Amino acid sequence: MGKLMNAREYEESLRKLKLNVYMFGKKVENVVDDPIIRPSMNAVAATYEFAHKPEYEDLMTATSHITGKKINRFTHIHQSTEDLVKKSKMGRLLGSKTACCFQRCVGMDALNALSIVTHAVDQKHGTGYNKRFLTYLEYVQENDLVCDGAMTDPKGDRSQPPHRQPDPDMFLHVVEERRDGIVVRGSKAHQTGAVNSHEIIVMPTISMREEDKDYAVAFALPSDTEGITYIMGRQSCDTRKLEGMTLDRGNLFYGGHEALVVFENVFVPWDRVFMYREFDFTTQLVESFSAYHRQSYACKVGVGDVLIGASQTIAEYNGAEKASHVKDKIVEMNHLNETLFCGCLACASEGHREESGTYMVDVLLANVHKQNVTRLPYEIARIAQDIAGGLMVTCPSEADLNSSAVGKWVQKYYRTKSDVPTEHRIRILRLIENITLGTAAVGYLTESMHGAGSPQAQRIMISRLVNMKQKQKIAKQLCGIEKGDQVS
Amino acid sequence: MRNREGRSGQLKVGLKYCGGCRAGYDRVGLVACLKERLAGEIEWVAADSEDAEALLIVCGCKTACAEPGIVDCPVHRISAPEEGEQWIAKMRRRIPQARSGL
Repeated sequence: MGKLMNAREYEESLRKLKLNVYMFGKKVENVVDDPIIRPSMNAVAATYEFAHKPEYEDLMTATSHITGKKINRFTHIHQSTEDLVKKSKMGRLLGSKTACCFQRCVGMDALNALSIVTHAVDQKHGTGYNKRFLTYLEYVQENDLVCDGAMTDPKGDRSQPPHRQPDPDMFLHVVEERRDGIVVRGSKAHQTGAVNSHEIIVMPTISMREEDKDYAVAFALPSDTEGITYIMGRQSCDTRKLEGMTLDRGNLFYGGHEALVVFENVFVPWDRVFMYREFDFTTQLVESFSAYHRQSYACKVGVGDVLIGASQTIAEYNGAEKASHVKDKIVEMNHLNETLFCGCLACASEGHREESGTYMVDVLLANVHKQNVTRLPYEIARIAQDIAGGLMVTCPSEADLNSSAVGKWVQKYYRTKSDVPTEHRIRILRLIENITLGTAAVGYLTESMHGAGSPQAQRIMISRLVNMKQKQKIAKQLCGIEKGDQVS
Repeated sequence: MRNREGRSGQLKVGLKYCGGCRAGYDRVGLVACLKERLAGEIEWVAADSEDAEALLIVCGCKTACAEPGIVDCPVHRISAPEEGEQWIAKMRRRIPQARSGL
């Protein structure tokens, strides 16, 4: 076995990092214990803790194809379609346990994409990236590290390619080549789990041409490398975590986070560089990573499980669970959620082996799945709010509930069934609020919309990958326009 | 050297769970119940133990996707709580054989 860390060891490993993190305009001196950030650390810690639980380890762990050792699945390179299916199931499991983004899938997807593309670059250009990458991968597996997969550049003026941007830093690029490595400058936006990561893996964000070759760079660095700065994104309702009470947070334990990661003239040694000016492989890297990451939205099925459970609970608390329309809405939520599960299982089951030996999801089905994810969680959330009722957004605070002056009225007027404490009703409403418009809505809704590529990106891929000629051919044969092999 | 003789003739049973992505019941609770009911009759060992005389895989749903790995003993699966009782009866039929060395 490699170093399969538990939650406590993971937390301690983060304390050793010297990250340069800013939030609300100030430097964060203690990232791990910061009350805003802490729930997101807890969510990543769950990926470690669950790997040690016998009842989850079949999904949470895998066998390294490099060392043969038992490793956390988040550092694994998929060796079969069974591995891909287990990845989808792991996503649902963790989503259902945390009700948020647990942040670690993006690094797994970056590792798997690089395992394919470094091999492909070597085959064409005679480079040695794959061997270099495998050495790095073994380091990640042996130390059970969290990797931030950093793809999204700010992109500046969307009508212009990287080399024609008024500000050249709108896409991360190489500014200097040295004997011992390269120096890069730029930034990566929306970086999920960035300050909970030990490593940051940078990849180009779009397909590039020769003029953009200084932007065609992929590498990995320790997250506390000199010159890297993290600026935390804020979330709706985030400062509720500073109020000293917990009820109004909705989810008492877990959360997610994103950050803008700035690389200000950062040195990357050659042994950490996995692509350098091979612009002709940027498309493959972007599409491989995107396909894996679109599969990763299996996690939203798990969050949906929690939201459905919360909706059923508030229906029961309100005494409305037997109303036919409420029952039908719960059925609809389940139908939508399991439809999402079908997609992430299908793209995994229909996966295939790449030349490198890594298994890749069915790219068309992964894009179809992610396209569904851009829509169905919104409908599930809408129904949850419908069932929850307006109190979800008009309910007084925990402080009012506990107030000696007005608490008795909050208790009295928000009571429903005699056996349901008012506080319980408010707690479940706050959880629904958290997932559908609070801090967790970042992950469940907007991340579902734009994470792993915005909806139009999937539609472009669907358009490219679907076999339209074959569909037309069959249609023309069946109506007699063309001859086929039908039985007469 | 394999040692399949459990404590005081107890049957050695390896235990494994599926990953539980959509478990329909409390698998850990069911196993706790099995352990209590079969206390003194079964010695629980690791799923990959060479000494196991049987392997029990506790699955959360009928998909029962967890694979046993390489084992050379009978593999049993439970994928619903009601199957626990049947499994207890099956094991109790085997335990006298195990004790007599059959």
